[in-house]
Amino acid sequence: MKRRNFLKMMGLLSGSGLASACKPEGSKTFISYLVPPEDAVTPGESSWHPSTCMECPAHCGVLVKMRDGWPIKLEGLPGHPISDGGLCIRGQASITRLYHPERLRQPMAKNEQGQFEPVSWEQAFERIATALDEAGDAGERSRFFSGRTTGALRQLKEQCCRALGIRCEAEFELYGHRALRQSWQLLQGREAVPRYQLESCDFLLSLGTDFLDTGLSPVDYTAQITRLKDRPGSLWWHLGPEASLSSLGAQRTLRLRAGSEQMLLLFVLQQTAPHAKRSLPAELFTTLPAPALAEVAEATGLASAQLEELILRLSKAEAPLLITGGAALEGESGLLLAVLTALIQYSQGALGTSVNLSDGEDFASVAELHEMQDWMNPPGVQEKTGLVLVSQCNLLHDLPEGGEAVRSIETARLRIGMGDVPNETMLQMDLLLPLSHPLECWGETRPRAGTLSLHRPLLPPLFDSRGQGDLLLDLMRIRGKIGVPDSYELMLTDQWMAELGETGRHELLKTGFIALPVAQQSTELQLEALLPLLNQTTPNPPPSGLRLMIVPSLRTFDGRSRPLALLQEIPDPLSTVSYGACVSISPGLARSRSLSDRDLVELRWGSGSIRLAVKIQPGLDDTTLMVTRDALDRLPHRQSESGGLLLGSIPVELRPTGQSSETLAILSGSASQQGRGLIPMEGKLEHELSHSLYPPHSHEPYRWAMVIDLDRCTGCSSCVASCYVENNIPITGQQEHLNGREMSWLRIEPYYDETGNHFLPMLCQHCHNAPCETVCPVNATYHNPDGLNVQVYNRCVGTRYCSNNCPYKVRRFNWFKAQWPSPEDKRLNPDLLVRGRGIMEKCTFCLQRIRAAKEDAKARGRRVNDGEFTTACAQSCPAKAIVFGNLLDPDSEVARLSLDERAFRVFEALGTEPSVYYLRKKAPG
Amino acid sequence: MIEHRDDQIERDVLAAMGRPGAGWWIALATSALFFFGGLILWGYQIFRGLGVAGINNPVGWGVYIANFVFWVGIAHSGTLISAVLFLFRARFRSSFNRAAEAMTVIALMTAGLFPLIHLGRVWVFYYLLPYPNERQLWVNFRSPLIWDVFAVTTYMIVSAVFFYVGMLPDLAVARRRLGGIRSRIFRVLSLGWRGTLRQWHHYGKLYILLAAFATPLVASVHSIVSWDFAMSIVPGWHTTIFAPYFVAGAILSGTAMVITLVAPMRRILKLEAYITPAHFESIAKILLLTSLIVSYSYIVEYALAFYGDQPPEAGQFSYRALGDYRVFFWAMILFNSVLPLSLFIKQLRLNIRYLFVLSLFVNIGMWLERFVLIVSALAHEYEPYAWGTYSPSFVEIGITLGSFGLFFSLYLLFLKTLPVLSITELKEHQP
Amino acid sequence: MSRIERFRSKEEFLDALRSNLDEDRESVIDILMPYPLPEAQQLMNPEPSQLKVFAFTGALCGFAFGLFLTIYSVLSWPLIIGGKPLISIPPFLIIAYTLTILFGALASFFGFLWLSRLPRIPALFAAEQWEEDGRFAIVLKADEP
Repeated sequence: MKRRNFLKMMGLLSGSGLASACKPEGSKTFISYLVPPEDAVTPGESSWHPSTCMECPAHCGVLVKMRDGWPIKLEGLPGHPISDGGLCIRGQASITRLYHPERLRQPMAKNEQGQFEPVSWEQAFERIATALDEAGDAGERSRFFSGRTTGALRQLKEQCCRALGIRCEAEFELYGHRALRQSWQLLQGREAVPRYQLESCDFLLSLGTDFLDTGLSPVDYTAQITRLKDRPGSLWWHLGPEASLSSLGAQRTLRLRAGSEQMLLLFVLQQTAPHAKRSLPAELFTTLPAPALAEVAEATGLASAQLEELILRLSKAEAPLLITGGAALEGESGLLLAVLTALIQYSQGALGTSVNLSDGEDFASVAELHEMQDWMNPPGVQEKTGLVLVSQCNLLHDLPEGGEAVRSIETARLRIGMGDVPNETMLQMDLLLPLSHPLECWGETRPRAGTLSLHRPLLPPLFDSRGQGDLLLDLMRIRGKIGVPDSYELMLTDQWMAELGETGRHELLKTGFIALPVAQQSTELQLEALLPLLNQTTPNPPPSGLRLMIVPSLRTFDGRSRPLALLQEIPDPLSTVSYGACVSISPGLARSRSLSDRDLVELRWGSGSIRLAVKIQPGLDDTTLMVTRDALDRLPHRQSESGGLLLGSIPVELRPTGQSSETLAILSGSASQQGRGLIPMEGKLEHELSHSLYPPHSHEPYRWAMVIDLDRCTGCSSCVASCYVENNIPITGQQEHLNGREMSWLRIEPYYDETGNHFLPMLCQHCHNAPCETVCPVNATYHNPDGLNVQVYNRCVGTRYCSNNCPYKVRRFNWFKAQWPSPEDKRLNPDLLVRGRGIMEKCTFCLQRIRAAKEDAKARGRRVNDGEFTTACAQSCPAKAIVFGNLLDPDSEVARLSLDERAFRVFEALGTEPSVYYLRKKAPG
Repeated sequence: MIEHRDDQIERDVLAAMGRPGAGWWIALATSALFFFGGLILWGYQIFRGLGVAGINNPVGWGVYIANFVFWVGIAHSGTLISAVLFLFRARFRSSFNRAAEAMTVIALMTAGLFPLIHLGRVWVFYYLLPYPNERQLWVNFRSPLIWDVFAVTTYMIVSAVFFYVGMLPDLAVARRRLGGIRSRIFRVLSLGWRGTLRQWHHYGKLYILLAAFATPLVASVHSIVSWDFAMSIVPGWHTTIFAPYFVAGAILSGTAMVITLVAPMRRILKLEAYITPAHFESIAKILLLTSLIVSYSYIVEYALAFYGDQPPEAGQFSYRALGDYRVFFWAMILFNSVLPLSLFIKQLRLNIRYLFVLSLFVNIGMWLERFVLIVSALAHEYEPYAWGTYSPSFVEIGITLGSFGLFFSLYLLFLKTLPVLSITELKEHQP
Repeated sequence: MSRIERFRSKEEFLDALRSNLDEDRESVIDILMPYPLPEAQQLMNPEPSQLKVFAFTGALCGFAFGLFLTIYSVLSWPLIIGGKPLISIPPFLIIAYTLTILFGALASFFGFLWLSRLPRIPALFAAEQWEEDGRFAIVLKADEP
């Protein structure tokens, strides 16, 4: 008998002995299937299921990677009408919400001491029933506040409120596009959020909008901007005071003073009137002020020549498109700006072509300006409130103290909060009802007219939580079970059957989304109602002094994604700040006030003040300061008749304190390339041939390589989040970031230079002649047969010499043992190791995916085809800026792009021969 | 009866090994306290992870490697004085060689700990050794760290052998002169030395051979240590001047440490008759010469960066002088290049007190040189985004102090257990 | 049988040695010295030391072993490291050089112990006849009693 056979037999014998011997008490008998059912879990194999990301209002489609019954990764869902295969940073991170250690694990009720203690669902419903009865007896009004809902859930919510006799309030969204919606209400008699078709214009002019960062639907618009840039002869200009992905991504950016947008739009409207594609009534132009060029130039801070060129471009373009958004529309004159924008869009012929009102984002149920004002103004009559239900919104944090809504919640008989990870509002409630994650429950969403997207349970709820739909049904049953569907799932199924038919429902369940018919809307404007409004218009005085802009954060949006630690860990791509709140100021302002990074300043405005650390942000206007929403505890607001939250720009005073922050983690060591030519911009690219003393080494048949198109990259950092989740990269926390020990394998490096602004995604370059390999004393890093620079964790002793010798500084050392508090450990990717302390790690080009693809191809008896698989970062990229493949296959996309005239490699002169190629930006125009 | 000169030498030198006074005990206790403190911190670091040190991305090497280079550098003057000066027949070496050789061995023992301390996984340190194993895993002989393993181990073994061989006849003296248990220990250690013709005959040959083997080590060990840096592509490290520059620096720091150790030893152990100001003057001349070489290297480095037209290189050197570590840089220039220039004055060369104070400054300056060189280069490498800073944590400072504790503990033990001067050579060279 | 004559001063010792040698070269068995006296060594005129053979052999073995170890290890499992050729002579020479010195020095030391017949095991535990006592000495053949 051969030794091998002997060992096999021994293994079999002892294994079967052990298997038969261990049967702990109470264990169930598992019998394997003869024919496994379709949805069964196959151990060790991944399965993919469509679902919908509910982290922000965009509701992109996702593919959920399931492994051994656990969702472990989200990827973009190809073909989805909103996201089409891409996913943003927040979407990537939203899987961590499922496994968040601080999620509510069961219903909780506040006791007399103000502490939450667990209660059962029955007790919770009993308490609600009692309170409802009491409120009914006392004649008190009960209210239901909710974040935005769509589709079936919105209807169910209204039904539930009717059944319980609760007033269903308008839904609360901090960024509710109120001005935009109301402008179309005025112009067309029906409120709508338009959908822009960026690729059908040839000159895009974006004013203050943040459509790449957080705006309407970032993944969709990022993909659209990519298509626009691919269109020959297209041009994208951005106007605005802020620094955002949009302002840095545009081919040309004109820095505008905050508050001068109105003047600029009036000027544009008046100046482009002679070349209008569709004419507006002449009285409109006489009603509206016509600011002179010099006046506009002074107010906006732009040069006259720039303004003239702008008008010229607009007039020359065949299909120009102006979009206004972001902080500009959230300010005091937001409505007027939205109306002016619409007028320009109309006169330039964009309405109906590149501005589509029929299938835009559905915000119909979200509170409008006047409703918000009602909530925020002090209550008129002191009315006693019975029950208050607050679902998935942070009212008490976002609305000013003393307003009607807040007062009403504070004085209610019983306050009920629904959500997953408790936020500021939920902590003030009396009763907390845990909601399931979208991956744990049934649901549908119709984020846009014409799009239906679903999510369904892929695993039983981790905790004693319920889906929002089922919870609403449960609440309805308080007032009787008759007519209440048995479950939300049944309710949805019936509804889909009725609406889509059997085939449609099947299609929906299979693909996760379906297109619905859309009613076309008129492309005419009703100007009569408008004229009185415009009549009163006097252009704002040119802004003076400093203004503070409050913008949604790329990472936490309106603050709702703050609990996700991963999003704190990944730095903001503009400022490279990971942990700590800061105010961004321009380099010019910093110079004139002698401020530097981390200096603490005090910002004062009408109703409040805050101390924040300074971060110098190139690309920002000199009179504008910028903070993200999540940096402020309370939003500035005014209680004047115009009311409203001040999310736009407000006048502010800046006072240095002479102190410096110790807690602001800025990850970038330099905002400039320091003349080192990481991204060679000028002149023809000369590929410095390596004059190596050594013979080349070959890697038939695969040599994996990556091409990153810097023209497409918007810096959105979705790839970074994807990489974190895919590769089990630990989250180290604030202190470690301050110590300079972030663990990211892939990072977005912003460089602001005279030659242009760039986002440079930096990851292990898998150098063909890798400097790290030579210096490792134990051969823990070497070149594998596929031409990858690999790291052998078991062999690494942790000298960190490889990291010292890496010119790209992409190696990461495990300073401590990474912590994965339960249940976060469940989302670890079992295809690769969780690294222990004391060893080096780095980007592997998703070696586990390469392995899987190669094994699959081998089983099929062929080579891996181009595009058959890709890395986590490339998959997630909404702009499709990353291409991965085999460099030795001459037909592969990577091989083709690596020979592009824009292709270069970073620090080519060092002779490291990286396998990551970058494509520099195209020359504009 | 007038005591014979030979007896007097034996008595004087061995008197130093007499019952230690309170001062010695206090010094030993203090040193040992620091050493054990460092040991506990090292344990803490192993238990928690290397993160308790201040090193980070991009500064992967910090105080630990600076200490390693510093202690290896200290070791060098021992070999220089005992081997090179022996080959050059420089008589004044007999006053220093034993102390310097002991310093070499002890400094190497201290230095050898730091590559272990700085490892992320010290429990698998043996991966660094080329030992046969069933998986055919060998070390990477292209890595300068493996060269270090070989060079430092070789240096350690050769200098220990040299130290022992040089002491062999003295051990026989101690065997005869000392009583009790010490006599028995020295009896074993002296291997039955009698001073026969045959023994002296081969001994003389051995000493010359060992000196010949050790002499290239003076140049090569620190060259190899310097290649830890020079073989990398880090701007500020990657330069051909490093080997001679480091060797000169090593000898500078080593001679300074010899002065630091021998000046108080001479007084406390009452060896003024054997170690004279003239001897110190010779050492001071070496110090001055090496200081000049080191200063020249500093200038050459800057000249290369200035004429090189390499932005990362130029950026590195301006950062070194003007950046976060500028205070250390200018202190290093002052201590290593400016202060030693005073040794052109003969009176100062003969002034042992002055030399002692100067040597302390040079010691500090040379430690700072390694710190500045390692840290500032890593802090500002090629990639501007990845620039960072580093400051040592209490663990690193504690372990550094612990290494001084170990060094001085062992040196104090040497003073009381072994003959601190070469009795044989003193006898041989007496007028 | 033998006897020993001890001298305090090196001049007396040298004189005695000279006269003894002149008298009868064979009568001087050995000399003991607290420190080496080239004059005495000259007078005794021993065979040239063979230690250099040990040193040279050791050094050569060290060099060969260094080259063997490095080349064998890269050939036993060929890995691409930094794009460098498998047999990278310059770094391997450093290993070989270091081992040359190590082996040379150790061979010299052990060669010395061998040639000078050290350690003498009995002497490690108890005093022998004619131990080093800080004086010069001549060991002579004893006269017939």
